[in-house]
Amino acid sequence: MLETINLSKSFKGKKVVQDVNLYLNNGESVGLLGPNGAGKSTTISMISTLIKPTSGEIKLNGVNTIDKPGEIRRISGVVPQELALYQELSAYENLKFFGAIYKMKGKELEKGIQQALEFVGLEARQKDLVKTYSGGMKRRLNIAAALLHKPKILILDEPTVGIDPQSRNHILETVRMLNQKDGTTILYTSHYMEEVEQLCDRLYIMDHGKIIAAGTKAELLSILSTEDTIKVELNKMDETFVEYVKTIEGVRKVEASHSQMKIIATKGSNLISKLVHLAEKHHIQLINFHTETPSLEDVFLHLTGSKLRN
Amino acid sequence: MNSVLWVQFCKDKRNPLVILLFIAGSILATFLFAGGVYSPTTVAIFSEEENASEIETKWESLLNVDDSIQFEIVEPEEARTNVKDGNIDVAVMLMETDYRLVVTSELPSVSYVQQHVEKVFQREAQISAIVETQGEEDVRSEIENYLADAPFQLETQGTGSEQVPKYNLSTQLLFAFTFLISMFILGLKVNNVTNDKVSGIWDRMILSPMTKTNMYCGYVLDSFLITLFQIVVVLLMFKYVMNYEVGDNLWLVIMIAAFFTFSMISVAMLITGFIRTPEQFYAIYPSVIPLIPLISGAYMMPGTITNPILLFIADLFPMAHAMEAIMSVIFYNAGLQDVMMSLLFMLLIGVVAMGIGINLIERRSK
Repeated sequence: MLETINLSKSFKGKKVVQDVNLYLNNGESVGLLGPNGAGKSTTISMISTLIKPTSGEIKLNGVNTIDKPGEIRRISGVVPQELALYQELSAYENLKFFGAIYKMKGKELEKGIQQALEFVGLEARQKDLVKTYSGGMKRRLNIAAALLHKPKILILDEPTVGIDPQSRNHILETVRMLNQKDGTTILYTSHYMEEVEQLCDRLYIMDHGKIIAAGTKAELLSILSTEDTIKVELNKMDETFVEYVKTIEGVRKVEASHSQMKIIATKGSNLISKLVHLAEKHHIQLINFHTETPSLEDVFLHLTGSKLRN
Repeated sequence: MNSVLWVQFCKDKRNPLVILLFIAGSILATFLFAGGVYSPTTVAIFSEEENASEIETKWESLLNVDDSIQFEIVEPEEARTNVKDGNIDVAVMLMETDYRLVVTSELPSVSYVQQHVEKVFQREAQISAIVETQGEEDVRSEIENYLADAPFQLETQGTGSEQVPKYNLSTQLLFAFTFLISMFILGLKVNNVTNDKVSGIWDRMILSPMTKTNMYCGYVLDSFLITLFQIVVVLLMFKYVMNYEVGDNLWLVIMIAAFFTFSMISVAMLITGFIRTPEQFYAIYPSVIPLIPLISGAYMMPGTITNPILLFIADLFPMAHAMEAIMSVIFYNAGLQDVMMSLLFMLLIGVVAMGIGINLIERRSK
């Protein structure tokens, strides 16, 4: 349905997006995952035709959208990261305006507004001014504004930033319903791993402007199938001890914070016995340790060398 | 375009106080500053001589020779208190053959009164001297008759009509302050472009089927209508409620104001092209705008600014052209043909500034 081919964007000579190749099938829910500054927003701005790429192509059903942006604009809805709403107007007035710019009017507009409000659970407060809403309600209205013209593709740019868990769940549920019941194709960007894990069929992991991994959750987790993740709790943290752990054969990465250590090592490297021996030598007591099933967070750590929410 | 206009009106409807405050500010500024240009119409006179009432009666009739200044006899204490309290600029203390001005400071109105009083006293002194020399009382009436039909008489005539137009600085200041405030209103409205860009609403509009032309037209038309509304309300109030001299051709005055509004919206759009955030606009625009009436000589009598460089800079802004056209219409009964050049200048400034401004805004978006 939609694909990008070697999509790149430079600002003042600095490449912020480099050779991004991604595709979205009809009815699919795809996540674009990456830390802040990874280039996710720039990528979706290019996909939604808000900014022109420096090089590369974006094709909607084989047609280049850079030259002909009309069709993708017609069938897509974009939920921006910022709250693109008139705070001094009511939710109803906001939606009336956003519907009117899509040439909706009369009963069609009225019906669209009520459906969108119902969908995001704001119909009871539609006459209230947006500035009186909570952060979560504003975010929901931000989504409703993109749903009015019933888009086939919904592009969401970090729609849950800065809101409470309850509103977050509401938004995630809304997006899931749009995808599963209405068949809307979803492109969801976030730096919250668990959101993307919950919502998306496939994932693209982005860092420093590049796609560094892509696939289903299982495919991405298989990257770590040759590794064990072991979490260790110590009675005290010792920098020398951490350095020694790093030298143990098979250890690939060590993260230490306070009295805890997270060690990624090659499967079957008999790490625990070596660790016990080393701790005794350094007079450090191992309080607790367990082997973890790798998560997407671990995959990200493995691929980028840093945590997602740095 | 209609939807942009509608949403902007909705915002104003929710918060009409800003527009109302600007209208009130415009009226207040005119009162404060235009009201300050005081040309004394009534001047208090009094005498403290022994034969005070005789002296007062004599000089009252001699001083009230025309309608330009009305001299009125008051009690000495009242006159002094009024001058002291600043209620009046000047009072005249009369003596048998001399006078003293009671003032607190050298205001322009003082010399205006002094000129008149000095002329009357000098003439009376000359006539008295001749009467004393001749010893005949008839000489006075002879001289007065002679002067009434003197061989050399000065007659002033206007270029276009027999009546010499009377310039009124208060009227000029009314327009100067109305336009000054209107520039702030339109700036505030034009800044909505930047506000909506920063909030992301602009992007939503770009992704919709609405064309950019319609988007810009919506914002420009909104600024235009609100600003023109303010100008018209202020003018009507001053014309019909406060009886200011706004001329008989109100439609032409409003038309000039409309051209000025469009032209200034373009200048505001040009400034918007140079800035990134609404805050930058709020910092720059109010610093630049008060300079425009100053450079354009809107607060001064025509012809005060003679420096060619300043005059050239003034011509770059619409205000100089608007003031010139409006003053021509009000004081010299100029018609549409007469002010056409000023209108075209404003239109030209408007088109050029709007073109460059939108171009800059679009370049920043890329």
